This record gives sequence, C-alpha cells and structure tokens, in this order.
Amino acid sequence: MAPADPSLVLAAVGAPVVAGLATLLIPRAQNLARVLLAACGPAASLLLLGVHLTRYGVAPNHAGTTSINWVPSLHLDLSFLVDGLGAFFALLVAGVGVLIVFYSRGYFGNDASSLARFFPALGFFTSSMLGVFLADHLLLTALFWELTSISSFFLIGWERDDETAVKRAMQAFFTTGFGGLALLGGVLLLGDTTGVWRWSDLVATASEIGSSGTVVAAFVLIFVGAASKSAQWPLHYWLPGAMLAPTPVSAFLHSATMVKAGVFLLGRLLPVFGLLTIWLPLVVAFGAVTMLLGAGLALRQHNLKLIFAYLTVSQLGLFVCMYGFGGVTDGHGGSAIDWDLSQIASHGLYKAPLFLIAGALAHRLGTRRLPELFGLWHRGVSGSRVLVVVLLAASYALAGGPGTVSFVAKELFLGAAHHAAASHPALLVVVAMAVLAAACNVAIVVRLVATVFGWRLGVRDDLPGRDVVHGKDRWGPVLWVPAAGLVLVQYIGGLLPPVWNSVFRRLEVNVNDEAFTDGLPWLWEPFLHPGAPLAMSLAAIGLGVVLGCSQRMRGDIVDVHDRIYPVTYRLILQYGHRAFHGIQTGHLRHYLVFVFTLLLLGISWAAWVDPAMLRLPDGVAPFESLTGLLLGAVVCAAAIALPLVTERVVRVLVLGASGFAVVGLYLLYQAIDLALTQLMFEIISVLLFLLVLRLLPRLDRRPLISPRPRLALAALVGITIGWMTLLAGHAADQRTNEAVTLGAFFEEHSLHGTEVTDGRGGEGRNIVNVILVDFRGFDTLGEITVLATAALGVWSMLPGRRRHRNDEGQPGTIAAEVER
Amino acid sequence: MRIDSLILRTAVRLVLPLTVLLAIYAALNGHNAPGGGFIAGLVTTVGLCTYRMAFGERAFHRLFPVHPRWLVVAGLGLTLVVAIIPLLAGEPLLRSASTVLRLGGQELHLVSATVFDLGVLVVVVGVAVGMITRLGEELGP
Amino acid sequence: MTTVLAICVTVMVTVSVYLMLSRELKSIAMGVFLLGHGANLAILAMSGSPVLPWGGLRQPPILGGEHLVDALPQALILTAIVINFAVMGFFLTLLIVTARKTGTLNVDELAGEEPPRSSPELASEPAPVAGLETRSVAD
Repeated sequence: MAPADPSLVLAAVGAPVVAGLATLLIPRAQNLARVLLAACGPAASLLLLGVHLTRYGVAPNHAGTTSINWVPSLHLDLSFLVDGLGAFFALLVAGVGVLIVFYSRGYFGNDASSLARFFPALGFFTSSMLGVFLADHLLLTALFWELTSISSFFLIGWERDDETAVKRAMQAFFTTGFGGLALLGGVLLLGDTTGVWRWSDLVATASEIGSSGTVVAAFVLIFVGAASKSAQWPLHYWLPGAMLAPTPVSAFLHSATMVKAGVFLLGRLLPVFGLLTIWLPLVVAFGAVTMLLGAGLALRQHNLKLIFAYLTVSQLGLFVCMYGFGGVTDGHGGSAIDWDLSQIASHGLYKAPLFLIAGALAHRLGTRRLPELFGLWHRGVSGSRVLVVVLLAASYALAGGPGTVSFVAKELFLGAAHHAAASHPALLVVVAMAVLAAACNVAIVVRLVATVFGWRLGVRDDLPGRDVVHGKDRWGPVLWVPAAGLVLVQYIGGLLPPVWNSVFRRLEVNVNDEAFTDGLPWLWEPFLHPGAPLAMSLAAIGLGVVLGCSQRMRGDIVDVHDRIYPVTYRLILQYGHRAFHGIQTGHLRHYLVFVFTLLLLGISWAAWVDPAMLRLPDGVAPFESLTGLLLGAVVCAAAIALPLVTERVVRVLVLGASGFAVVGLYLLYQAIDLALTQLMFEIISVLLFLLVLRLLPRLDRRPLISPRPRLALAALVGITIGWMTLLAGHAADQRTNEAVTLGAFFEEHSLHGTEVTDGRGGEGRNIVNVILVDFRGFDTLGEITVLATAALGVWSMLPGRRRHRNDEGQPGTIAAEVER
Repeated sequence: MRIDSLILRTAVRLVLPLTVLLAIYAALNGHNAPGGGFIAGLVTTVGLCTYRMAFGERAFHRLFPVHPRWLVVAGLGLTLVVAIIPLLAGEPLLRSASTVLRLGGQELHLVSATVFDLGVLVVVVGVAVGMITRLGEELGP
Repeated sequence: MTTVLAICVTVMVTVSVYLMLSRELKSIAMGVFLLGHGANLAILAMSGSPVLPWGGLRQPPILGGEHLVDALPQALILTAIVINFAVMGFFLTLLIVTARKTGTLNVDELAGEEPPRSSPELASEPAPVAGLETRSVAD
C-alpha cells in the first residue's frame, strides 16, 4: 500500500491549539461559544484521525506516512506514524480532551477570565500530546516532548499568584525537562549511530541495530526521559506535587495524557530495543519499585487528589513493568505482553473519573480530605449522592472488581508476570510486589467506601466536617456527566467484551497468548479456567480487604522523595554561587591575567608540539630599510614613553606620536589607503582623548600596585606576540611567487573576472577598496552596523544637553562636579 | 571647545570646501585609486571638526543642521538598498553591477559599489561627527 | 622590515598589556588603544616585506604596477582601524559615565561597587507536598 499522506494527521495535531487560540477572539461574556469552540479542537482531531484511519487503515508500526520537508539538514521532517499504539493514544487524548473542555466549564463556573486563559493553554497542551503520540521522526518526538513539558508548566502553575503552585510547576517542569534532555541526547545518539531518524524505519531494521555500547547508552538515555515523564521512582515526586493544579488539569495530565507519554515511549521502544539484555532488568526493576512504592504511599494519604496521584504513580509503574516483560525471551521466543493498550485504556477509564469526581466534591463541599467526607452519603448535601455513586463505580474498577475492564487488565498483567517468571525465576519477586500493590488498591477502595457511608472502619479525625455548599448553576451536571460516561465505557467493556474487542482488536499489536487472540474474555470465562492469575487476584482482594479494615497504615505521611527536588535545587544554587564568586571576582585585572595566561599556555603548548617554532628563521634582515628602522625606533620610543609620563595631555600627545609613526610605517609598506585612514583617525582620536580627559577626574596619586609582576607578564605577552609576528611575517617573506594566496586571487579578479567567479570582477583597480566594497562587502556592511551601534551607545549613554537641562537645571554642572 | 583665533577661522574658511572636495573625489575615485568611503568619511569629519573648533558650536549647527543620527540612518539605508537590490534580480546579496557612461567623449565607468561606498561615507561622517559633537557638548561652551 | 615590525609589535604589546594591568581606567583605555595599533602592525607583517630581494620597493596595491604588495592585510587593517575608532568612542563615553555615576575610575574601587549577591528569592525552595494540605485550595 502506498504510504499515507501526512496532511490529515498534521491538521489533527494542530487543531486543538488553533481552536484554543481562536477562543481568545471570542468576547468575554460569550462563555458558551468559548466552550463550544474550544471543544471543537480536540473534536476535530478525533474526526480527522478517524478520516485518516478509515482512509488508510491502522498502519503497521514500520510504515510511517510520507514526510513534509521541514529542516532536512537536521533530519527533522514532518512525518507521522499512525500505528495501533500511536492512534490509540491520540484518540484517547483527543476524546478525553473534549470531555475536559466541558468539565472545565462546570469547574470554573462563570469565571470568564479563567476560562479565557485556560482554553489556549489546554489546546497547546493537547496539540503537543498528539504530536508526541503521532510523530514518526525521532527529533519531532523530542520536540513535541519538550512542548508538553512547557505547556504542562502553564497548566500546573495555573494559580499564578500562588507561590507554591508556581514552585510545583517549576519542579514538574525541571524534572520532566531534565528527562527531556536525556531523551534528546538518547535520540541524537541513536540517530547518529544508526543513521536512521524515523521510528518506523527503526522498527523495520530493528534486527540490524545490534547491542553495541552506544546503542545501549542511547536506550538508557531515552529510558531516563520516559521514566521522568511517567513519574518512575525516584523521579515520581513531581506528579503528586503537580496536584496543586485545577482538577481538570490533574484529570487530563495525570490520568490520560502526559504521564502516559513515558509509557507510550516504552511501547514505541519495545520493538526496537526489546532484544537488548538490559531491557528486562532495567525496565522491570524501576517499574516494580514504583508500582509498590506508589501503592504504599497512596494508602497513607488523606487528600483524595494525593491518593489518586500516588495510585497513578503505582499504576504507571505497573505499565512500565508490563512493557519490561516484553523483553522476556523464553525458549519459544514469545513475549509476555498481551493487550497492553486495553490495560492502559482501562486505567484512563477509571482514573480520570476519580479525579473528576474529586474535583467535583471539592467544588461542592469545599474539601478533598478523606476524613471530612466521613458519612457523606447520609448528610444529604444536594447533588452529592450522584457524585458518590460515580465515585464508587469508578472505585470498583480501581479495585479491579469483576465486570470491569480493569479486572481483565489485572488478570492480563498477573498472567504476564506469571508467564515471565516461568523463564526468569527472579521475577517471582515482581509477582509478589504486584499482588501487594493490588492489595493496596483494594484496601484504599474499602476505606473509601467505609468513609463515605460513615461506617466505623472509615477514615476520620477529630476535625469537624465542613459543609460548604456552592450555589447550583446550570452547568452542575457537567461536573459528573463526563466522569459517568467514562466509567460506563469501563463497564461496557467488562460486561460486553465483543464491543470492546471490535474497537481494540484492530489497534492491539502485542497479542501473544493464544487465549486472547479473539479478544477479551466474557466475565465468567476466567472463573471457568482458574489458574495462577485468578488465584493471585483473589489473594490480592482478600489481603486488600484485611488491610483496608485494619487500623494500620492509616497515617497521613509525607513522601521522603519530596525532598529530592528542593535539596537538589538548593545544592545547585549553593555551589553555583560559590563557583560564581570563585570565578567572578569583579576585578578587571584578574580577568586580564587569566586571559593572558591562557594565551601564553596555548602558545607554549603549540611550541611544545612543534619545537621548530622556537628556532630563529634564516635570512632575518633587520637593516633592509633605514627609513623603516627609524620609524620603528620612533614607534617604540613613543610607546615606552607612554607609561613613564604622568601629565595627561602629554600622554595623549605621546600616544598620538606613536600613531603618526605608524602612519609612516604604513607608507613604507605601500599602504596609501591605510596611511590616509590612520592619519585622519589619529587626528580625530587625539581630539577625542583631549576632550574626554577634561571631563574625567585627575589621576589619583596613591601608590601604584607593584610594577614588577605587571611588567613581567606584559613582557612575556609582548615577546610571545612579537615572536609570532616575526615567524608569520618571515614565512610571508619567504613565499615564492607560485604560492597560492588569497591576496593573489583578489589581485587577479579585482578588475575582470575569470570562470572561477562566473566572469564577474570587481571592476576596480584599487584592490583594497574592491575587497572592502565588493568581495567582502558583507563584512563592510556589518562593520558600519557596528559603527552605528557604537554611536547609538554613545548617544544613549549621554542623552544630550537638552534633556540634561530639564533634568538637572544647569548644563555645565556635571563637568564641574567631576573636576571636583 | 573653541579656539578663538582669526588665523584659524580664515584658514578654515578656505580649507573646509577643499576638504569636502577632496573627500568627494576620494569617495568617487576610490575604486580605482587610493581612497574610498572610510577615508573620505574621516577626511570630512576632520574638516567639520576644525570648523567647529574655529567657529564654535552655534555656527557649526547652522552649517550642519541635522542630527548626525539621520546621517547614520540614511547611510545604512543606502548600503542596505544597494545590498538588497541584486536579490530582487535573483542575484546573490551585494553582487555589484557596472555600466559605462559616455559623456562628451569621456568614458565614465560607473559601478554600483561606488554607491555602496557613498553609504559608508555617510555612516562614517554621522558616527564620527556625532560622537565628537556629543562629547564636545558635554564640555559646555 | 619584518624584524623591525616584530620589534615594534613586541614593544607596543608589552606597553599596552602593562597599561591594561594598571588601576586607572584612563590608562587601561590607552593600553587598549595602543594594543589596536600593535595588532594592526602584526597583521601588516603578514603581507611580507615591501623591500624586494634585489633592492627597491614593491608597488602599492593598485592594478597597473609590477610586484604589488599583498592587499588583503591592508583591507583587514582598514576595517580594524575604523572599528577601533568606534570602540574608542564608546570606551571613552563609558569612562565619562562611569566617572559620573561612581566618582572614581579606579578599577579596584569599581570592583567593590556592586558585589554579585545571591538573591533571596532564588534561594528559597518549594515546601514538601504536605503543604498541599495546609493550603485552602480554591477548588
């Protein structure tokens, strides 16, 4: 089949940001129009992707679209890869994006200024996410990756007047940005080593990539990027920290989109790097640790959003682990991954509703703390029961109860872990960790239910519950309808698998177990064929119920990893300041000594490499020209006299004398243009110096710094430069007429051109002038720009008499003041 | 800064037109003989500075009524135009063109680079005169 | 001639570096100025001696003569002189402004004027996540 055309995908990627920016044009009061327009963006993406998929079908992961040239010299072109993995994530982002737009209308209420500010940022973020998921070029992926970091910064730091929120946004930005740098490095290394710059081509040639050190390094760097974005231990702290964002943002970023970028990238990498021996231990280790740590931390939080945030961390660890199992190489060569996209989808389908409901509860009741929700069901706060129903429905999926997709997902994961452990016994530890993590999920759900219904087991503290009821508005249902819709899909998938399969079977690439080739099973099937996964599920549920009912592990704790970023930040600043003070003394002399020492060291190094530099060249003739000798003597005498005289006018005249002697030297060198220019320059500069000296304070007569070391360094520098001049000038003297020099080229082409210059010459006889205005005309253009800039500097530093008079009364006072 | 001297004033009155003529000659002929925009600009500046020294600031302002920055703007603009025109014809930036003009038996070789050089001249005069007058004004009358 | 030029360069660079290492900005300005001359002479030396091996001098770089001097160093120096001029004007103005603002041209005193200081804003750090609890969230 012919490669697909990228324009539809490009339009799909661009639509949300265009729509988001377009909302800025809508008048402030028109909130309905604003919301509808903003929703059009991701909806258009959905539509365009749908059209693309119906026209070209789901591409295999080695067939990208054709590319639109962008920066070919950087291997950066616009081409996309709409395979199952990319298409799934893109559809997820666009679909959830539409719901989030409506939800945010309910969340922000009638706050028109917030909405006006929110939609452009949201559109920017949605577009960058779509770009990450659909890009085929390695660098394009890295580019969109960075854009997601930037746009999420705006969203996380939404409360821009709140210092904490801004700091959290920076924490998230720097952490994921650091990962982005690692990703960029890895991608560059990979592209440079293999010469292949597209994911699709990399997949196609995966067997030829090999396992050299550079490839492994590239993989590790890319993995660091993925792990930072997907909040893997020990960089997971940014995700709970980012919970200060408004709830629509949390729901969007942390359930469906941004944090999944790392997981997505692992899915992209699996066919490329899956065979590396480092894949399995590296990916599984970080995933498993994150999975258990996140679940354990979630259990010991009281804030609903933080609970869900740590659960997300845990779940992300699980997904990373899942892709890690893809690196299992057993005797049959089979991979241990099954239906990875369904597993990821099922997470989004309960986590987003949980976040949305947490936000809705906060909106209604003014709190998100679990103890304050104690007995909520019986309180009869208007509109809260429906929220509780949706919350419980989503929690049931969180616990992985039968009848939901996540039940099957958990079965699939445990099955994969079991399968992988069969060939790698060490992975049994991971299996145990997975069961524990699942038990924590169940325990959290048990506590949630108990708390909401006000049972004795529930979480409560001594603080009295608050009932802050916000006024109802027309958009109230928007707070729970999107969540309910997502949860419904979760149950449809679980109870009617054929519906789910009809969509996902086409997207799934990794279907290895024969039992699942036709699709997810009906509700009862796992129970008909009980095996290790079911046993583990039941064990997890039993353990979870016990844990949930126990009074242990109930505290509200702070994750130690939250210290990582502040401490690192402080250390960097501390050492940065120390280094800065060490290097930047503020003393001009120190800088000069540093520069001159480096110069001397550099030249000494060159002389050490080539000792011939130290030999006096043959044929040195100092007495060729008596005039030259005399002029040289004048130049030297004037220069030496300069530091010896102290009267400032005399000094300027001495300086001028040395300049005029240089004019003579130019004349001797037959440089008439130079001599003329230098003459005029000398006149003007003596004039300028005399003018300025009258404006400056007199030399102070305090003891000078000891002249001897100064003189020593100066003499060293002078002798070195003079010696280099002698060597270079002598080499020029010895040049034969046959030598090819640039000067000869200019001489030849000054008047008439040859074929080298397309027959064009400078049309002038004065070679110096022809070089200036023709051959090197661009330099001259730059040079007069420098002149103009310098003049501008002078005029802006001394803004003129007229203004002075206005400012300070009398014009002449300044000079007088300085003279004092 | 002013030097009150009758001899200087008389001399400058005579010399200034000559300096300007010399500068124009140097600029126009610079392509084929010693000279060019930079030299011509500096020569003009020296002439103007001596005038300012001999006659004082007010007289100088009468002679030179515009702010030097306009010279800088004009000169930069002129050089940019000369630089960009070849682009419009599909040629590289700054590619020079030349024509031969016949004036009463005399052949005059006109090169676009000369116009460029004139732009350089104007910029140099603007910058140099601008700096010197500015610093001179700081000194007061 | 190259030898003479090399000696001139040696002396000029030595004096200018000596001046640049002094305490007075005025002397430093003169040092910079002199260094410009020295550098120009060093570039000039690259065109080779103008004295021909059989005596006599080379011709100026204007087409029509025999044994022309290398024109390229001259073009470079011409550029350098003019840039030197601009830099000097700027430098001198800077001296005036510095003298007015600080009342001194002593580089050691100027170094003590504004020591780079760590900003208290940057040194602070975000509070741990527990801060989320204490904050009354707007939503």
